[in-house]
Amino acid sequence: MLRFIIRRIIVIIPMLFIILSLTWGLIRLAPGNFYTGEKKLAPAVEANLRAKYGLDKAWYVQYGRVLWNMARFDFGTSLKYEGQSVNQILWRAFPVSAALGFSAYLIALVVGITTGTLAALRQNSWIDYASMALAMIGISIPNFVLGPLLILFFGLTLFWLPPALWDGFPSKSLVLPAITLSAIYIAYIARLTRSGMLEVMRSDYIRTARAKGLTEGRVVTRHALRGGLLPVVSFSGPALAFLITGTVVVERVFAIPGLGNYFINACFNRDEPLIIGIVAFIAVAVLGFNLLVDIAYGFMDPRIRY
Amino acid sequence: MRRVPSQRTVLSLIIFGLIGWMVGCAVSASNTTFFGKTNPPPDNVLRYVSGSEPESLDPQIPTGQPEARICMALYEGLTEYDPKTTAPIPALAERWEVNKDSSEFTFHLRHNARFSNGDPITAHDFVYTFRRGLNPETAARNASLAYYIKYAEAFNESAVFVFDPKSNQYLLEQDFETEAESSSSATSGQSQPAAPAQPKKAKPKPLTSQPATIAEEYPPNPEETTPDADTPFHRFLHSPERLVVPGDEKDRKKALDANPKLKAAITGKQFVPVKAEDIGVEAVDDYTFRVCLTQPAPFFISLMPHQFFRVVNQKTIEKFKDAWADPRNIVTSGPFKVQTYKPYDRIVTVRDPMYWDAANVKLDGITFFALQDNTTIMNLYKAGELDAMLNHTVPAPWLDVIKPFKDFMDAPEAAIDFYLFNTTKGPTSDVRVRKALNMSIDKAAYANWRHIKPLTALTPEGIFPGYPQPKGDAFDPDKAKQLMIAAGYRDASGKFDPAKFPTDQCELTTNPDGANLQIAEFIQAQWKQNLGLTIPIKIMEFKTFLVAQSKLDYKGIARNGWIADYMDPFNFLWLYYTPAGNNGTGWWDPKYVEILDEANRTIDHQKRYELLAKAEALALEAQPTIPLSTAATRWMKKPYVKGMYPNPQTLHAWKWVYIEHDPAKWDYAVPSMTASVAGG
Repeated sequence: MLRFIIRRIIVIIPMLFIILSLTWGLIRLAPGNFYTGEKKLAPAVEANLRAKYGLDKAWYVQYGRVLWNMARFDFGTSLKYEGQSVNQILWRAFPVSAALGFSAYLIALVVGITTGTLAALRQNSWIDYASMALAMIGISIPNFVLGPLLILFFGLTLFWLPPALWDGFPSKSLVLPAITLSAIYIAYIARLTRSGMLEVMRSDYIRTARAKGLTEGRVVTRHALRGGLLPVVSFSGPALAFLITGTVVVERVFAIPGLGNYFINACFNRDEPLIIGIVAFIAVAVLGFNLLVDIAYGFMDPRIRY
Repeated sequence: MRRVPSQRTVLSLIIFGLIGWMVGCAVSASNTTFFGKTNPPPDNVLRYVSGSEPESLDPQIPTGQPEARICMALYEGLTEYDPKTTAPIPALAERWEVNKDSSEFTFHLRHNARFSNGDPITAHDFVYTFRRGLNPETAARNASLAYYIKYAEAFNESAVFVFDPKSNQYLLEQDFETEAESSSSATSGQSQPAAPAQPKKAKPKPLTSQPATIAEEYPPNPEETTPDADTPFHRFLHSPERLVVPGDEKDRKKALDANPKLKAAITGKQFVPVKAEDIGVEAVDDYTFRVCLTQPAPFFISLMPHQFFRVVNQKTIEKFKDAWADPRNIVTSGPFKVQTYKPYDRIVTVRDPMYWDAANVKLDGITFFALQDNTTIMNLYKAGELDAMLNHTVPAPWLDVIKPFKDFMDAPEAAIDFYLFNTTKGPTSDVRVRKALNMSIDKAAYANWRHIKPLTALTPEGIFPGYPQPKGDAFDPDKAKQLMIAAGYRDASGKFDPAKFPTDQCELTTNPDGANLQIAEFIQAQWKQNLGLTIPIKIMEFKTFLVAQSKLDYKGIARNGWIADYMDPFNFLWLYYTPAGNNGTGWWDPKYVEILDEANRTIDHQKRYELLAKAEALALEAQPTIPLSTAATRWMKKPYVKGMYPNPQTLHAWKWVYIEHDPAKWDYAVPSMTASVAGG
């Protein structure tokens, strides 16, 4: 197992190199600069700006510098926001996205697994149909529709919850964005749990457990769930990675200062150091979480050996 | 067996339930005087949305209006924007004198102004501020605003003087005037089209290039008993302007190769870099600040409230360098100072007790929220979480609903929307085609649809009192067809044939943000309806679009807009002062530039306006753009926020804003904007 983990960690480095080089190339190919604006700059001013940020050097010199800095984990300072280093921005924005992402996923896990399990246990009952119907709605309604609907109802008609902004964790401003984010994941997890559980409940070792005289509850929680949740675990890895590194739409709709918001603005602003920094962060997160999922598999399913 | 509702039944029940709830929401929306909750905040802190996240809290770096509003709270300048008219009013400068041809300004500062750390604010601080802003290492994006100051552009470009060691003199601009004429203009340094064949008559020199005593130069002022000192620096500035050549070797070689006379004169001479100490700003004494311009510019006073010219603390910048604007280090000069700064979220400012007029600052603090999404801003406003917002926030589709509310601030703005023509290539290089396309748009219908005022000229209508704005062409589709026929797009019988028009070389380019796409579709429909022409629309992402626009890389027509940097019609006519830069059309006429220069040399205010109007009329004859509309402010503020007016630039002097807790004294409509002397 250990050798497997080390091998996976080492592979991250060349993958990062490829991902970041591609990202850098794409940014450079895109027309426009961080200082392109509606009011054009005087040529002298533009020359000064380019000199200040080293843009007047040859492209391979700049590429080399970017690679060298990345190796030292120095992503530089944002081009658009003077004086703020990319590391500072990541340090500040990540906890917000992580808090929101984890809360949303926690809600999704609790509600989704419960609903899915109940649906599996009471197959073809009204619970089963209702929860799967709601799951269908959850998957179909995009979060830029669901979010404003929730804002309209809870924020602007009942005035129970704030319609936007982030007041820290935990606070009332967490509720609506977390629910909006979790909707689609509740749907997926419920369906995955239901199908996983259905399959497991038919298997031999569950019949054995029942035959041993265990209560149904014990059978479900101690024996069936472990196997039935395997699809959920493999789904969770990448889902959680993307959730905690920022979801652009929800952060925009609710004006939350998370990584997703920073990322989309960096792309519009052609803010190269920030884009590369965030992409590197997301890449490491996704690769890392995939690794964690594979390790978790090893613990959950005794048949799997690395 | 118990009958269980099928999956389909349950699904449809849920869907109908949702629809029913949404309908109920719409129906039950109550109609009141004001939009949403209207309860004054319990503390005396204003919650304001300034716009997108500011690029920096350093006033000399950023260019946009969102930063302007924050900088207006944190920093103060020589003059301030009047809350109702945005005309310049005294701020750190108590009074000022202007010389006889508006090429030199002397400001007398107040003696009791302080920075937020207690340091006194003196004329030396202003000298430092101006020099730092123009320093090429600062790379300030707004440095071009200060190019009117003598040698400012040369310093910012890292240019050099030419010194003759044999005669111990610097070479002078005036000796190379006719050839160097094109490179001495205060704006673009790019290559210009060939100068007209006949020699230009020499431009009259501004007073600042001629030696003169103070008494001769300034109109007599009975209040000033002691004239300001005529320092050696002042005499140096008043000597004829020195010749300036590019500092970079490659650029210099290019300029010299183009001008043999210049090249011959330069060989063998020394190059002396233009230093910060050479630019035309001077601290005559601790509280007298003098600015010497390279050309007459009566509008210079209106430029002074811009954040670029607001005073910054020298010690702090020299100590912390790029990190000086960090909330832990920052030192400010305005009515408010920074308490906390959470990027992409909010900036919390509090009243600065060190501010010279702190006793008259009514608010305890202002919280600036950095939000871009208009819907989010309107939602927060409705929920009572915001007190006021920036301009252009009410989305156009909401206008019918929002207009009846009493807290809707609608007034004309010093900003225009228009479409550029590419006059250098394609069918739009023919002025008849341009006029025809302009005349076949029903601007009144357009304005009606957008709830704004139509525009036919190049400057915003109704913004500059007393300005005799010329009228552009009216809506006349028949005349448009005649022009198209004259331009050659006709069939055998002499009638206008839309099929002959090359629509593959003419398209309407725009970025999709905001309402731009809907507007483009409207205009496209107008051309189809009135001319039978279908001009395709091309959509480009914003920055990609800007690059194409500035390189004249678009076919035919492109969308554009301009917001005034300062309150003067010249700021709109200046767009076409050079063929490059902010022009975007490729149209340039030396006669136009001549009239504008003459206008700026004119002392009489009304005569100057008449000359500017004459230039505008000249430009309208060439139709470089399709004027569409004067923008409207379109924002909202709660009725208990007083002292805030929908002025033409939506820039508010925060010291006069306050929260009124007595509902009888609230604003039950747009507050009266009749200009008055502000001050309390």
